[in-house]
Amino acid sequence: MRENILMVKTEGLTKNYKSFRAVDHLSFEVRPGEVYGLLGPNGAGKTTTLRMLATLLEPTQGTATVAGFDIRRQPLEVRRNLGIVNGGMQVYERLTGREVLEFFAGFYGIGGKVFEERLDWVVDLLRMEDAIEKPVKEMSTGMRQKTVIARAILHQPPVLLLDEATAGLDVFARRALLDFVKQYGLLGKTLIYSTHVMSEAEEVCDRVGFIYGGKMVYEGTNAEARMIGEGSLERAFIRSLQGVAA
Amino acid sequence: MNGALRIFRKEMLSTLRERRVLFTTLILPIILMPLLMYGPLLFFGNAARQTVEATQKVGVQNLPEAALEALRAAKLEPVPTATPLQDVQEETFQAAVSYQGTTFTVYGRLAGATQSSLVVDKIQEALRNYKDQLVARALQERGLSTQILEPVSIRTQDASRAQERAAGIFAFLIPYFLVIFILNGGQAVAIDATAGEKEKGTLEALLSAPVPVLQIVLGKALAVLMVALAAALAGVTGIVLGGTVMRSLIPKEMLGNSSLGGGLSLEPAGYLALLLTAVLFAALMVSVQLSLGVYARTFKEAQSYMAPLLFLFIIPLLLLQFSDFLTRQSWYYLVPAFNVMLLLDGLVKGSAENWQITLTWLSTLVYAALALGVAVRNFRREEVVFRN
Repeated sequence: MRENILMVKTEGLTKNYKSFRAVDHLSFEVRPGEVYGLLGPNGAGKTTTLRMLATLLEPTQGTATVAGFDIRRQPLEVRRNLGIVNGGMQVYERLTGREVLEFFAGFYGIGGKVFEERLDWVVDLLRMEDAIEKPVKEMSTGMRQKTVIARAILHQPPVLLLDEATAGLDVFARRALLDFVKQYGLLGKTLIYSTHVMSEAEEVCDRVGFIYGGKMVYEGTNAEARMIGEGSLERAFIRSLQGVAA
Repeated sequence: MNGALRIFRKEMLSTLRERRVLFTTLILPIILMPLLMYGPLLFFGNAARQTVEATQKVGVQNLPEAALEALRAAKLEPVPTATPLQDVQEETFQAAVSYQGTTFTVYGRLAGATQSSLVVDKIQEALRNYKDQLVARALQERGLSTQILEPVSIRTQDASRAQERAAGIFAFLIPYFLVIFILNGGQAVAIDATAGEKEKGTLEALLSAPVPVLQIVLGKALAVLMVALAAALAGVTGIVLGGTVMRSLIPKEMLGNSSLGGGLSLEPAGYLALLLTAVLFAALMVSVQLSLGVYARTFKEAQSYMAPLLFLFIIPLLLLQFSDFLTRQSWYYLVPAFNVMLLLDGLVKGSAENWQITLTWLSTLVYAALALGVAVRNFRREEVVFRN
């Protein structure tokens, strides 16, 4: 990983689906070790933005870098340096948790003793001791989600993208995930935490960007944003939209 | 290519753990094929044997005593009736026979494989014997030999090749079932590896890994290919086993000249050519299935896209029965899938020529590569991958 670079930088990132513009000249920066909240309602363009960063979608205009690698020109390098989790993402249910992680670890050149060490690390971090040897189909929803996250972080990527990652989780699993986000941030990793649940962002994000209609309508630290919203990110979001309308 | 092998291993592991797919793809054909193909034959054979051995009541009208004797000798019990046609229609008798002038009329229900038709055969045989006796007696009275009726004899000798003769019904069944099993065998795995991944939400995770799309498609294609070929092998094994078992169950006199189940009698190169042709065809079908599968949003949608493939091939496959009537034009061997069917037919019969083999293999290889290219392109197209 290169020092002193922005871990994520987007420049005029734009995505059209035929005549519909899902992301409209989006520019933002995320620094190393930062938990950045990409916040907005459903359909605001969050998922499309993260999918472009993960090189799953090609931008219509603009570009971005992840860990210093260009998403258009160096997609494989970008993928080596990030992990992505979204609410709908699942892992192979006929494999055990260990087999799933071993399968994905291989793509990052992680095997043998290193894999075992990483497995111990991730199992400990996500508290998956009881489930790792079980077939995924026998796991609880929360444990499945942990397996999805474990898959995304096993290679210890400098950038982790979490998109509506608490969707469908019960209160315990949701709490475990939020605790994990804080812990992972403490390891010096960069996270983009995309959600429409403002209370979650209040708890875990260092900085936030409000996105609406594919455009960035506000960007600032968590504390600054809450100040605008008199302690509430939700209120801050609504006020920032009113500011745009005015 | 490590990524492709990794994906291949994962797909195989996943498939081997899906007992339903394993059972329907690999086990069921071995059990079902003999039952499906030879069961009805065995059943009909037994029914025919029982009909021959048992005595049946038959309606008779105005039959001379000598004809009645001939029926009794053939294990038939004549029962006088005034309405033979109606009796057979109402199934009072399986068959009946009336005599008027010099004509015997035999009544039976002849539509389909009926027991009545077997009894009719029995009556006809008895009446033919009766007629032969009458002719022999008439000739004898005139001091003539019965040989006068056969001044010349006609003999037919089978001049087909040894492989063709050995293949018997196989000549049609092998190409037919190879194509069907390759299509069906790989389908479930192809859908699971494409639309199934989309529907279950696992595809996005795979595509976000640092592995080129070509390797993803190759890994999946290799796994589907293996299962399709295994399914084809299971199906052919089912046919061979079934044939062997049935041959031992059905008496030789009942089989006559029919080579039930057949048997392949090819040179090693012939078997190799058969295998290579099946592999190339499977590669083409697998690529087509992956292209269609990734386009579909759900497992069910993918099934509906792939179902017409089977119908598309059924007609040329059925036409293979009459392949001998085809004048083999060189362009036939460039038509996707049809060329494979023709070549398989030729290989099994031992009649395939080198130019036919070359054209079929090369063209199928090109079609498979093109189809694989389409599959890779579909996997790269975000409007396809994120269609759901």
